[in-house]
Amino acid sequence: MNVYVRLTYRNLRANLDPISLFFEFIFPIFFIFGQGPALSGSVAPIAIGGGKFISYALFLAAGAVTLTVINSGTNAGTQLWYDRKNGMFEQVLMGPFTRAEYLLSIVFATLLIGIVSSLLVFGLALPVLGGSLSMGLAGIALTGVSLFFGTLFFGGLALALSVALRSSETFQIVSQFAFFIFLFTSTIFFPSNNAPEAIKVISLLNPLTYATDVFRAGLFGSYTSFVSIEMAALAIEAVVMFSVAVVSFRRIRV
Amino acid sequence: MQEEGGPAIKVEGLTRDFGGKKAVDGVSFEVGKSEVFGFLGPNGAGKTTTIKMLTTLLPPTSGSARLLGLDLKTEGRKIRERIGVVQQQDSFDQGLSAETSMEIYGLIWNVPRTERRRRIDELMKQFSMEEFRKKPTIDLSAGQRRRLQVAREFIHDMDLLFLDEPTVGLDPIARRGVLDFLKQKVKGGLTIFFTTHLLDEAEYLCDRIAIINQGRILEVDTPANLKRRFGSAKAVEFRVDARKPLELLSRIEGLDGVTKAAFDDGTAIFRASTARPEKVIPEIYRLADSESLEVSSIYVAEATLEDAFISLVRDGAGGEEGRRDGS
Repeated sequence: MNVYVRLTYRNLRANLDPISLFFEFIFPIFFIFGQGPALSGSVAPIAIGGGKFISYALFLAAGAVTLTVINSGTNAGTQLWYDRKNGMFEQVLMGPFTRAEYLLSIVFATLLIGIVSSLLVFGLALPVLGGSLSMGLAGIALTGVSLFFGTLFFGGLALALSVALRSSETFQIVSQFAFFIFLFTSTIFFPSNNAPEAIKVISLLNPLTYATDVFRAGLFGSYTSFVSIEMAALAIEAVVMFSVAVVSFRRIRV
Repeated sequence: MQEEGGPAIKVEGLTRDFGGKKAVDGVSFEVGKSEVFGFLGPNGAGKTTTIKMLTTLLPPTSGSARLLGLDLKTEGRKIRERIGVVQQQDSFDQGLSAETSMEIYGLIWNVPRTERRRRIDELMKQFSMEEFRKKPTIDLSAGQRRRLQVAREFIHDMDLLFLDEPTVGLDPIARRGVLDFLKQKVKGGLTIFFTTHLLDEAEYLCDRIAIINQGRILEVDTPANLKRRFGSAKAVEFRVDARKPLELLSRIEGLDGVTKAAFDDGTAIFRASTARPEKVIPEIYRLADSESLEVSSIYVAEATLEDAFISLVRDGAGGEEGRRDGS
């Protein structure tokens, strides 16, 4: 069996708590079936580009699917953090594996969780998204690219944090705080057009904004030239963040 | 399989600096095939750092080593394919049961499924782990987790095994069980590099022992030779009913050949440390006669590996030759 398959399987079995995964899955469901429909009547239809407007329920349902990238990304940090805490990081590296293989196996496990949970949430959101979907091959590619780079960015961030922070409590609180800032300043819950200027600027640098906007453009066929800029920015940020994670990872002292 | 001829480990001038401080300072030694090589030293002596270098986890600052005929610097992966390591620290998958933990470990080592199952059953029995086979590793006691950690390493094949204090936390019966299992594996051709603070354990298991202190090897020899060469603190222990034991003690200290004397109030036993008990025993009888005392029992306490270890590490008894080159 291929070394990546073996290590990825181990990461999925050994370091991921099914209960936490379940709640990460439940979290977006709440927005799709709870908050979205509840606020839909009081929030005016939202412009998503290309002259298209969608209801708040649709806007939030699409955002909730991209929420999975941030949850999946956190898992990357958790896997590394548990392995270091439990002595398995050294144990694996004293086996017939390289650091690169180990790191990539975490990335593969994270991407796998990201893709599967996004598909599950997307499947559950279908009754809400329903006939509003306007997805061709380009749309499928856009949604896939947004989820891939989004997961890569947040996976890289969580890996870098888990290298830097050795205490469990610090890792949890710092990653939660960082991810809260990303969520709060993204376009998952509301568009940033009417936000205060400072938040608008942060939002325009936020990879979660790009991932969400690109994902929505793919779902609803609202592709514009701005979306292609956002996609490029997302890819660059994801590659940079992943490189930071690799550098931090290489510096782990055993 | 190991390379034909040549030692299992050959280390020359291996050094590791941490910010200018030498944790391991130019150590050299060889370990033969199917040998159990003990690596003993006080806390912070450089034992674990040496193991980390030899298992390719930590690059040496300088020096060289060949393991199983493979170069440490350029053939790390090939080395790792043929070694096993039981770390000093705990290593376990907290989300898994003891059995699944072994199963997954076997899987990442690419052990075929049927073989994994067979070995797990065998190791579960061998290490008396049936009772906690299905228990999550996070809920195991320290001793159970340690047994699992040692047993787990035998799920895959290896030619050379590094054991860094593998019996910490084990009760005497479990400890003896692990040591006997290791002896059996050595008979089958396994080479073991072993560190421990339990010197009786080292004496029981090791063919040769290196004593390391402050990153440098002080001596390498068989346990028997180390005791003979450095366990000079033999003692003559005897009992007399002395009315004034402290006065007698000071006269014992003055006997020719006695380096140190002590008296145990509880047992009323005198202890005279000496390198020449054959000379000191007649002196003790003469002294007792002169005081009109009767020696009710007398015997020579043999030097232990602990005596030799303390003598080497604390008193620096190792020779220059030993310091320069432990091989």
